Amino acid sequence: MGKKKKRVEKVFCYYCDREFDDEKILVQHQKAKHFKCHVCHKKLSTAGGMAIHVLQVHKESVTKVPNAKPERESTEIEIFGMQGIPPDVLAAHYGEEEDPSSKVAKVEVPSLRPPVMPNPAGMVYPPRPAYGVAPPMYNPALNPLMARPPIWPAPPPQPWFTQPVVSVPQMASGLAPQQPLFPIQNMPAPMTSAPANLLQTSFPMAHVGVPSPVTPQVSQPLFPVSTSAGNGAVSSPYVASVAPGSIPTSSPSVAPAGVGYAATNQGTGGPAAVPPPASNNKAPATQPGANEVYLVWDDEAMSMEERRLSLPKYQVHDETSQVSSDFYNFISVILMICEKNQVEVHGDALNWNIV
Amino acid sequence: MSTAPTGDPPVRVAVASGGGGMGLGKELREPPSDGVSSLRFSKHSDRLLVSSWDKTVRLYDAEANVPRGVFMHAASVLGCCFHDDSSGFSASADNTVRRLAFSSGGNYFLVRHDAAVSCVEYSYSTGQVITGSWDKTIMCWDPRGVNGTSHHTLVGTHNQPERVYSLSVSGYNLVVATAGRHVNVYDLRSMSRPEQQRESPLRYQTRCVQCYPNGTGFALGSVEGRVAMEFYDQSESAPYKKYSFKCHRVPEDGETKVYPVNAISFHPVHGTFATGGCDRFVNLWDGANRRKLFQFPRYPSSIAALSFSRDGRLLAVASSYTYEEGDIPHPPDAIFIRDVNEVQVKPRPKITFTDPPSVASPSV
Repeated sequence: MGKKKKRVEKVFCYYCDREFDDEKILVQHQKAKHFKCHVCHKKLSTAGGMAIHVLQVHKESVTKVPNAKPERESTEIEIFGMQGIPPDVLAAHYGEEEDPSSKVAKVEVPSLRPPVMPNPAGMVYPPRPAYGVAPPMYNPALNPLMARPPIWPAPPPQPWFTQPVVSVPQMASGLAPQQPLFPIQNMPAPMTSAPANLLQTSFPMAHVGVPSPVTPQVSQPLFPVSTSAGNGAVSSPYVASVAPGSIPTSSPSVAPAGVGYAATNQGTGGPAAVPPPASNNKAPATQPGANEVYLVWDDEAMSMEERRLSLPKYQVHDETSQVSSDFYNFISVILMICEKNQVEVHGDALNWNIV
Repeated sequence: MSTAPTGDPPVRVAVASGGGGMGLGKELREPPSDGVSSLRFSKHSDRLLVSSWDKTVRLYDAEANVPRGVFMHAASVLGCCFHDDSSGFSASADNTVRRLAFSSGGNYFLVRHDAAVSCVEYSYSTGQVITGSWDKTIMCWDPRGVNGTSHHTLVGTHNQPERVYSLSVSGYNLVVATAGRHVNVYDLRSMSRPEQQRESPLRYQTRCVQCYPNGTGFALGSVEGRVAMEFYDQSESAPYKKYSFKCHRVPEDGETKVYPVNAISFHPVHGTFATGGCDRFVNLWDGANRRKLFQFPRYPSSIAALSFSRDGRLLAVASSYTYEEGDIPHPPDAIFIRDVNEVQVKPRPKITFTDPPSVASPSV
């Protein structure tokens, strides 16, 4: 059943990687599973909207999308169906080779994420090698995919969802509003493709070339601690702002904010892939890149201009020397006057004694 | 490549360092012989005023690439601004503020602070010169009657909690950013006390502050490669939400190097803005839609200053080492004038969804 479908034609949920034949069903799934308010169970349309709703109505802060993968639970990326998914995530997903095994894995995964480590590691493993190999091949394929509106043939009824015949005209009507969106998407597409390449080049281990000094046993217990620490560090600046759910983070080398977040998420995804030895080599190299931050100017007490003015060649010399010479002359005059007075006083005293 | 203006002297065009067709802009002739501290376009023409660590302020015709004047000072000049097209003001490290007469090349002493003057602004709304200094004060002066005489009127001296690092004026709003991450907001019509005494939301030293052209707030740049978008209205029901974002960070050898944000300049028409950092990049941002619009090819040296021209057609970029890593050998200091591509600076609203996302209105 799954083999009959082309992989590129299937839509999938960014947050949990489940695949759907119809984007409308995907949107319903996202609203029910990922964009639902946990307090009043109201379904909202986007993660950001849900976070704002929870903050304003229930006075609670939500920083993670519920029921999402650890590396994809950010509320800052605006996802609506297939719109807004970072290109590298698209490439990683459609680059999967073993479609049946991944499908089986997804079916087995319950709505609540199991606490056992091997399961998420197993899930993450299939896209990992495909990501390293496939991305340059799939990039040109993705662009026409985005540019060309997809044609959804009438799918056979799924065992868990019976699709009525009435939905066919709904799909047709759904395509009509989607079509004018594609020219808009064409505009940012050439901008995003180049930064995506930059992002991908930084990911392969061959470019990093850093051997792993840490043994697997030592690195394994460190990952949960560092992951939670990373989350803590990420969340604290958001709390300082009024609307934490709507804060974008963009890096200079990546054009859209979404891709910037994807890079961060990919970095945090490294720890999840601990058991495979190949991924084990990647994880410690990726993690310091994601976490290690070096401030070029770290002197909080002095500005760059203040420091520069203290250099000899920028010293204000003339004025200082002039002032000091004036002061010296003044002191000399005072000393002369004092000496003169003492002589006179002494003379007067002598005369008085004689009389 | 920028096109040479017709009928003008031949222009030396800098060779593009990267990105086919996207050069750095045309390089100004006779640049300062040392670092650039500040640079400003006129509000009435395409003239550019540049202050430098080589103790000079230079006036250029940016469009024609012709130097118009050099004004010598006794010490490094840290800031400059236009008064009108016939005169300007300079802030110097010898504690003085001077008026520069462009036609005569004259350089008149105006006022003196107790320490180096770090920044100078001219308010077109009040007709006052505002200077900020490392003596922890800002001063407002009436520059009228200065021509040829030593008469001037001190309007007021206002103590600040720390050394003044950056000033910005928009309409009647004056924003003062100091050491210790203090930010004071004044109304220039009532300077007796600050309208707002705020603290920077960024956790590191403030590098620069710039008011929004629409007068609703200001942007702060810090040494930690971050920009904060702030608003004057701080009430809960404010229509705008303040936020901050990371920028000017470069991954190097497995770690991320974070560079200071030295300059912020707003496009006068579209309200988008450019940031320049010590990472040698100039980025364009759409603050209203929280988007990064464009990134120019890397410049030879740190971006020390940026300025859009009055109509937004030109962007002046000072590629000049700012000594963030000490006194080390560095490329020559240069000033580039970019022709601004309209597509690059236009705001880019986010793609609307097929179903508009519904955000529940807050209920008490």
